[in-house]
Amino acid sequence: MNPATLKTHEVKTVAPLQNFATAHASSMRVAIVEDDPSQAELLTHWLELAGHHCHHFDRGELLIRSLDQESFDVLVLDWNLPDISGVDVLKRIRNSSQSALPILFVTARNREDDVVTALRQGADDYMVKPVRRLELLARLEAIARRGKHRSEQPEIIELDVYKVDTQTRTVMRKERQVELTAKDFDLSVLFLRNVGRLLSRGHIRESVWGPNAVVTSRTLDTHVSRIRNKLGLTPEHGWRLAAVYRYGYRLEQLDAAAQRLAATNER
Amino acid sequence: MSTLTGSTHKQSTLASALPALTVMVEKDLEVLVQRFLARKRDDLDRARAALGTGDFETIRRIGHDLKGAGEGFGFPELSAFGAALERAAVLHNERALGDELAAVDQFLSRLRITFK
Repeated sequence: MNPATLKTHEVKTVAPLQNFATAHASSMRVAIVEDDPSQAELLTHWLELAGHHCHHFDRGELLIRSLDQESFDVLVLDWNLPDISGVDVLKRIRNSSQSALPILFVTARNREDDVVTALRQGADDYMVKPVRRLELLARLEAIARRGKHRSEQPEIIELDVYKVDTQTRTVMRKERQVELTAKDFDLSVLFLRNVGRLLSRGHIRESVWGPNAVVTSRTLDTHVSRIRNKLGLTPEHGWRLAAVYRYGYRLEQLDAAAQRLAATNER
Repeated sequence: MSTLTGSTHKQSTLASALPALTVMVEKDLEVLVQRFLARKRDDLDRARAALGTGDFETIRRIGHDLKGAGEGFGFPELSAFGAALERAAVLHNERALGDELAAVDQFLSRLRITFK
């Protein structure tokens, strides 16, 4: 770009950031793998203004390691990283226990074969930098919606003997209301919306108590134990709210055989 | 309302002779934009040093990052400079790199940002 082509005087305005949080989007836990600190800060700023919680990794290996103990709703992944390439990160995730994690590639590489490679290796979507704010949010929400574990978030959740109304914040079990504290309600909704999904302790803490709350493991375990008892999330009722060592919890709905087996094992 | 100018950086003779480039940015981006521009000034110094030693890969990465982030912060010119730097670095075109780095310097020096 020739300096001579620059205009000698110009006034322009960077578009305002407020008022764009999408009404239908619920908060997501977003992992961002990006080695450029400015780009990472900008993406984080945009996503947090839209109500999402962001976790930044400046190396691919750091994210891969974190997935042993953490879960996320969606991943924003750069291609050019200092340690391993974004495509390698993508391949390793797709071959791991977190293979269903929705992944959006955000990279300055704009060649057609780059886009094709990323999509064929399992990326859910691909954006070329510089990214536009609203498009980024819309694409993230779209791949999260399409994700295996995350669908539209209805106000009423009906599942087996449970009926949850997120507007009135009530939980019915076998048509009888279950008395829950505010945190226990939020925890119940989180698990009932993510049946079968392994949720890390960090993910649970952030979703229920917020990103800055200090919550001990013991406190979290106490709340989980309480909703397990109050909602009857136990094998004899066809459910299991299982602790996964050094990771978190998973709510599982048992089929008849698994229910019998679990009941036998617990005797 | 606060204002950020490029005067903290040593200005080129050409840039100081040109009128300021005034940009209005939302207040909530102030800290991010200030950090971004400070990093880009550092990158400019690193790129000049790299050009002196023939380290084209460092310049390519600096150009690549500038291309990716400039427009997002409201400076599409910087994205364009970044793309040009990346191209010239891949081609080991020292003359073009010198011109592009001078253009980035000039742009940063002329910037006058008002946050409100």
